[in-house]
Formats: sequence, C-alpha cells, structure tokens
Amino acid sequence: MIRQTFMEAAGNLLAAWQRSVLALIGIVVGAGAVIAMLHAGTMARQETVRQFRQMGTDTLILRADSPQGLGNFRLGDIESVPLMVPTVGEIAPFMIGGGPVTFEGQTRNGGFIGATGSFADVARLPMASGRFLSVHDRFELHAVLGSELAEQLSTPFSPMRIGAQIRVSRYIFTVIGIIEPVLMNPMLPMDVNGTLFLSLPNARRVMAAPSLSMAVARLRGDADPEIATQQLQQHLGPGLRDATLNVLSARQLISGMNSQVRLVALLLGAVGSIALVLGGVGVMNIMLMSVTERRREIGIRLAIGARRRDVRRLFLSEALILSLLGAALGVALGYAGGVGFAWMSGWPVHFSPMAAPLGAGVSLAVGVFFGFYPAVMAARLDPIEALRSE
Amino acid sequence: MLELRSITRRFRIGPTERTVLHGIDLDLAGGELVSLMGGSGSGKTTFMNIVGLLDRPSSGSYRIRGENVLAAEADAQSLMRNKMIGFVFQQFFLMPRLNAWRNVALPLMYRGTPEGEARRRAEAMLERVGLGQHLNHVPNMLSGGQKQRVAIARALVGEPAVLLADEPTGALDPIVSREIMGLFEEMNRELGVLVLIITHDPGVAARCRRRLMLTQGHLADQTALTHA
Repeated sequence: MIRQTFMEAAGNLLAAWQRSVLALIGIVVGAGAVIAMLHAGTMARQETVRQFRQMGTDTLILRADSPQGLGNFRLGDIESVPLMVPTVGEIAPFMIGGGPVTFEGQTRNGGFIGATGSFADVARLPMASGRFLSVHDRFELHAVLGSELAEQLSTPFSPMRIGAQIRVSRYIFTVIGIIEPVLMNPMLPMDVNGTLFLSLPNARRVMAAPSLSMAVARLRGDADPEIATQQLQQHLGPGLRDATLNVLSARQLISGMNSQVRLVALLLGAVGSIALVLGGVGVMNIMLMSVTERRREIGIRLAIGARRRDVRRLFLSEALILSLLGAALGVALGYAGGVGFAWMSGWPVHFSPMAAPLGAGVSLAVGVFFGFYPAVMAARLDPIEALRSE
Repeated sequence: MLELRSITRRFRIGPTERTVLHGIDLDLAGGELVSLMGGSGSGKTTFMNIVGLLDRPSSGSYRIRGENVLAAEADAQSLMRNKMIGFVFQQFFLMPRLNAWRNVALPLMYRGTPEGEARRRAEAMLERVGLGQHLNHVPNMLSGGQKQRVAIARALVGEPAVLLADEPTGALDPIVSREIMGLFEEMNRELGVLVLIITHDPGVAARCRRRLMLTQGHLADQTALTHA
C-alpha cells in the first residue's frame, strides 16, 4: 500500500511536472543556499586559522598615536625592549609609507616599509633569493622587494633579480633580496607581497612623512599578551611625550575576527533560512492548488473506501517526494556553490561536514511541515461536495 | 440486506430548516434489481448519499446485513463503505493516471489486500465485464462504454452488499446504454449482488424488477402499479 501510494504520488507529480519543478526550485535554492553558506563559513574560518598559524598567535603590533596623527618611538627605547620587558622576546620597529617605484622605465606603486634587520625574523618573512636588510645596510642604498611587487616590475626581457637597479624618489637602490610570496598578514598594516623594504635612514629620505610609529613584537614563550601590554606601556610610555601607545595582540584580533566570521555566517544562514521558508511556502502553494484541482479525485477515493488518513498520506507523500528531491538537488547545488565560493575567493576548498545533513534535514522538515496543511485540508474534504465539484 | 427505517434528512440553510427526506422506510433483499426514479429536487441524490454512507440521516436507522452502520465512526465507516458499497457514477470517475486493473484494484488496496492478490482479483473482474483485452489501458484509451465497464468492475471487485449506480447510462448512447444495463442484469443474476439504479430514463427503470419513485422526499414503491 505504501509503495502504491508513493508510486501514485510520484505519478501525480510527474503529470503536473511544470508545477512540481516550480515547487522544487524554491526548496533547491533554499537548501543550496543554507549548505553553500555553511561551506563558505567553514572556509572563512579555516582561512583565518591558516593566516594566524603562519604568522603565529604570539605576535603583538605596537602603534604610537599622537593627537596630530602618528607618534614617534625612540629607536633606543624599542631596541631595549627585549632586555627590559621580560615577556617580549623580539621586537622590530618600522615606519610605513608608499609611492612609485621605477625599474627599466616602468613604474609601479608600492607600499614602503622602513625597517631594521630584525623585521624579517619577527614578522617571519622567508627569502626567495638574496638576503634581508641588516644593520650594515643602514646607509647603503639597498632595498628588498615583496614577491608581487617584484613580479609587477619584471618584464619578459628583464626579470627582477638581485642586483637590479630601481629608482625610488631621487635615489637609485640596488635590490639585495626578494621575499617569498606570503599570506596576507592581518596584523600588519600592509600586504608584504606588494611592499618595498628599506632601512630606516633610507626610508626617512624617500617617505613624505616619515615617523617611526610602529613595531612588531613577539611574546616570549606563553606570555600573557595582557601583561606584556602593561609592561610595554610602562617601558615605552614615558618616551612617547604626548603620544599614546596602542598594543594589538594576535589573540585579540583572532577573537574579533572569529566573532565577525560568526556574524557573517549567521547572516548568511538567515538568508538561507528565509529562502528555505519561501521554498516551503512554494510547496504549500502548489500542494494547495493541487488539492483544489483534485477535489473530485479525492471524493472518488473517499467514496470507494479510502480513509481520511489514506488521502492525507497520498498528499503527504507528494510533499515528501518533492522535498526529498529538492534536498538532494539542494545538496548538489550547495556543494557547487561552495566550490564556486572557494574559486572566487582563491581559498582552498574546505567543506563543512555538518552542511549536507543539516541542509537536507532542514529542507525535508520544511517541505513536510508546509505539505502537512494541504494534506490535512485534502483529508477533511466532504466526499459529497468533492464529488460534485468539477 | 438493506434495512432503512424512518430515514429523515433535514438541511439547515441559514435560519430555515428544509426537510429533504420524510421518514423513508425501505427493505431491499440481496439479489434484487431495483430502480429509483424521481424528478430534480425530489431528494434522489440525498437518498443515495445516505444509502452509500457518504451522508448521515438526521434521524432514522439503517442496517446493512443486519449491522447498524450509523453507529460507526469515520474510519470504520470508510471501511464499511469499502466493503459494503460499490459506486458507479454517470461520469465514470476513474483515476485518469491509473490503468484499468489499477483502477479496479484501488478499493482492494485501501482495504489492505496485498498487491498481487488485488491484481489477480481486479483482472478476473475485468475479464468478467468483458475487458480482458484492456487490462493495461488508461481511461483515456477506452470508450465511454468501456470506461463504465471498468467502473462497474471497480464497484464489484470488493464483493459489496449493494451496487449503487447513479445515472450509469446518462452519458452513453442508447446502444451502449442497453449493453451496460445488460451487464448490470448479468452481474445481478450471476453474483447475486443487490443493484440499485438511480435513473431518469423510464426505459432503464422498466428493465428493473422493482421500481421505486421518490417524490418531494416521499418514497413510493411502484412495482405493483406498473405491473397491474
């Protein structure tokens, strides 16, 4: 009997296939949206975790802010931090700016970071070729390039290489190193890949408004970033004059980003849920139409001895088949959406294990929930009235 | 077989109440071939709905095979309708997407008969009404007379106590009508099933051994009258 009911239900859906397809679209889009959103949320979270794993969660960024804009650290104060502040292991001060860089007659805009030799170690920058700046390069016109900037300045005839001469402002610099491509570091104010590195004295020469306002530091062992922040305030605060010190820890940033990712995922989930509910309403609409159209058939069934629950079962089966099909197609669409998202964002494909069961389950529940009312309506028809209708 | 006692049916339309059937008493024995005539508004359809367990009388008692069928609740009444009543309608009312044997097997399926047995019985019944060649045809591929034969097979497959036919020849031409009437007579004779035909057609009524007339809710037996 159940098999027969399902066969009949499937036959009815096929006979009104255009309508069935319309009802399906809602469910498919809803389930697909929910699943794709879950995948996107997972990928975003994985990406954040990856970024921080590469950069390390023990990173601190120090910034001097003054009422006029950026403040200035005293280089000596910064360099004495590892000696005076027990929780901080290494520190590298830097200044930021930007401008045009010219090589072989072609000009590209890049970010500038003026740094000491310890910057590459503290920010964990691996060299693709050559070496990073050292204390001996302070007054030499030496520069280090990020991978992307190096590539942009290259031409097929003259690839960027060690020893190449580049012009920045009125100076000709010699390239002494190129950094490997690195992940965007959310802690640093600029993307290392598009940056030109100069020594501090050279940076002061080419930057429009040079100020040694930033530093990147690493905690010693498992030190608490809160305590480190307090100790840094005590040590650096007096030398800053009217500027104030802001310390940002990777852990703060992670928790901030996590809540942001969670918010986005929640928002996307809400959108998916709305789509699903609309899909459910679509199912209900089409089932109700079908019940109205098949009143006489329902009357005949009741006349030849179908119980009300038999009629209810028939229409519930139709809703169930629709939502099963919708869920299956929705899962496929959701995974395709996840792959598309990965492709667009350039992140590695990472699927949420919860997505398929959750999306399919919810869309099934929605379909059956919204199919229930029309089925009950059908089962409640008065056989006499139903037989009389056209 | 069928025993109706002072069946009254009143309908409430707004503030007024209208009595459609006035205390009808009727006994029908198994194996009878009975016609019921009556003009529009005479209460024919209401009467048939009550006999067919689709409607309940406002008062009165109704027994089939000695069983008080009005006492049953909804699900039990569905089962009773399934087992005791076979319906044949003017418009055939077949399931358009089911083939002939599935249409005929439907009442058995609702009774919980396994599909194999239901199919066997449905096919045997279709053979019996002369449609052994059309077991797998859907209604659209059948003529009006063939459709009505499928409907009759569907009504009889469950071995009901009474076959209720509402204008069964109303949509058929005279020749096919006569064939269908012949089929009713044959089934009545061979299966011994009580057949109650509601009709406008005096020719159809004339072929029934017992003739009833419903006039404004009052039932009269005209068998003796016409025979005299």
